[in-house]
Amino acid sequence: MKYLLFLLLFLLILGVVGVASNPSPGFAALSLVMVAGSGCSLLAGQGGYFLALILFLIYLGGMLVVFAYSVAFTGSDYVEGWGTRRISLAAAGYLLLVWGGGVILSTNLNEEFWTVGASFGEFMFLEYNLVGVAHLYMGGGWLLVAGAWALLLVLLAVLELVRGASRGAVRVV
Amino acid sequence: MSPYMLIILIFTLGLGTLITLSSSHWLIAWMGLELNTFAILPLMAQQHSPRAMEATIKYFIIQTTAATMLLFASVSNAWLSGQWEIQQMSHPTPLALITIALALKLGLAPMHAWFPEVLQGLNFSTGLILSTWQKLAPFSLLLQIPPTSSFLLITLGFISVLMGGWGGLNQTQLRKILGYSSIAHLGWMILIMQYAPPLTLLALTVYIVLTSSMFLTFLYNQATNINSLAISWTKTPMLTALTPLVLLSLGGLPPLTGFLPKWAILQELTKQGLTPVAALTALSALLSLYFYLRLSYATALTTPPNNLPATLPWRIIFKQPTTFLAVLITMSLSLLPLSPSVMAFFTF
Repeated sequence: MKYLLFLLLFLLILGVVGVASNPSPGFAALSLVMVAGSGCSLLAGQGGYFLALILFLIYLGGMLVVFAYSVAFTGSDYVEGWGTRRISLAAAGYLLLVWGGGVILSTNLNEEFWTVGASFGEFMFLEYNLVGVAHLYMGGGWLLVAGAWALLLVLLAVLELVRGASRGAVRVV
Repeated sequence: MSPYMLIILIFTLGLGTLITLSSSHWLIAWMGLELNTFAILPLMAQQHSPRAMEATIKYFIIQTTAATMLLFASVSNAWLSGQWEIQQMSHPTPLALITIALALKLGLAPMHAWFPEVLQGLNFSTGLILSTWQKLAPFSLLLQIPPTSSFLLITLGFISVLMGGWGGLNQTQLRKILGYSSIAHLGWMILIMQYAPPLTLLALTVYIVLTSSMFLTFLYNQATNINSLAISWTKTPMLTALTPLVLLSLGGLPPLTGFLPKWAILQELTKQGLTPVAALTALSALLSLYFYLRLSYATALTTPPNNLPATLPWRIIFKQPTTFLAVLITMSLSLLPLSPSVMAFFTF
């Protein structure tokens, strides 16, 4: 179990470094899959299975897929990954930063860095995964409406921004 | 833009600010700020030029970064203190991070570099919304959080006044000048925030009145740089006569309204024992005054050697209704004698 935890944390940090070192978008998307996979496994192992499932479904299965297709459309001749010198140097730098941060933060090893579970006011529940969403729909009231309005607004704003031809903003008229 | 889209975006701008103003939970406040960010993006990109797109993208990246920092700080505070109340933050690190995130959202120095460039890419009406309405929500949050490091706030305030004045000295584009003036005024507001929050609100309101007058004046004259401003006297003599006075009010000269917040802030700073800060800030405001004076020279006090496209006709044709501008200019010139009532209006 300890080894599994270590492996997942290692993959998490490696994936974050892979995204931060600024490779071509395709490789960054691959690193992002690694980050999301290991992070979600960690989360699910600690009891947050709902968030992990939602992340896999929406983030990886919806947003990342659309991003990967858009990146495939752009198609570049000179694809840079960890093989090129610039990106491998950046990745090494970030790894050094993580190692240094770990050294600095590990001075107080008695502290608890891992917390699980939540209690909120008079709601003491063990099943906190789904209850939040349920409460949003049950007692959320106008907040639910505001949340739905926010989602609708983002859709409309994006549509307005990428409208083509003379009404659009992405193309120079 | 389609009128339906315009209505939805303007409604959401109002909704977002209202949500943040009335929230006590950090997530709700964040939601309001995000609504404001997204609602203004299509308005900014309305002009379809590469410059407008560049301004839109810069604004989006900056605001999202600030919102992410805000979210991180509020989640850290929730972890450390167990609750999400805005007014009950207890740990200094999230407090400092939230102050910096909100300073980035507002455009305070040293996080100010994006603001004049973004303003330059917009037309005057969108720039007006950016300079006035978008400042309300972050200020409401800054006013509600418990006292944080006083060194941080004084540094943010003083450096903003300095950079706002210094950076505006070399500008000929009016939108960039208004951007730097915004940075300087925000510096004054932040300086006094931890000692007398009503004065912050006073400074914010007076600034909104003054800068709206300037934006609408430049919009009426269609003047985007000092050269265009110099030949705009042929359009309306009344506006040409009043513009230098509004500019001097922005610079903080008595007996105009702009003097009131500066006067009150300097008095409060000296009462708190921060006389060197007060003196240095007042001296830094001289830098801003210089470029306001340069603009008033160009507008009405000198006749530049530019070729005039047309001279003033006998019957003056009003291209747009100027009622609102008239009210704003009246307020920006003549509220100083009403100082006690104005200040009582903001004391809570």
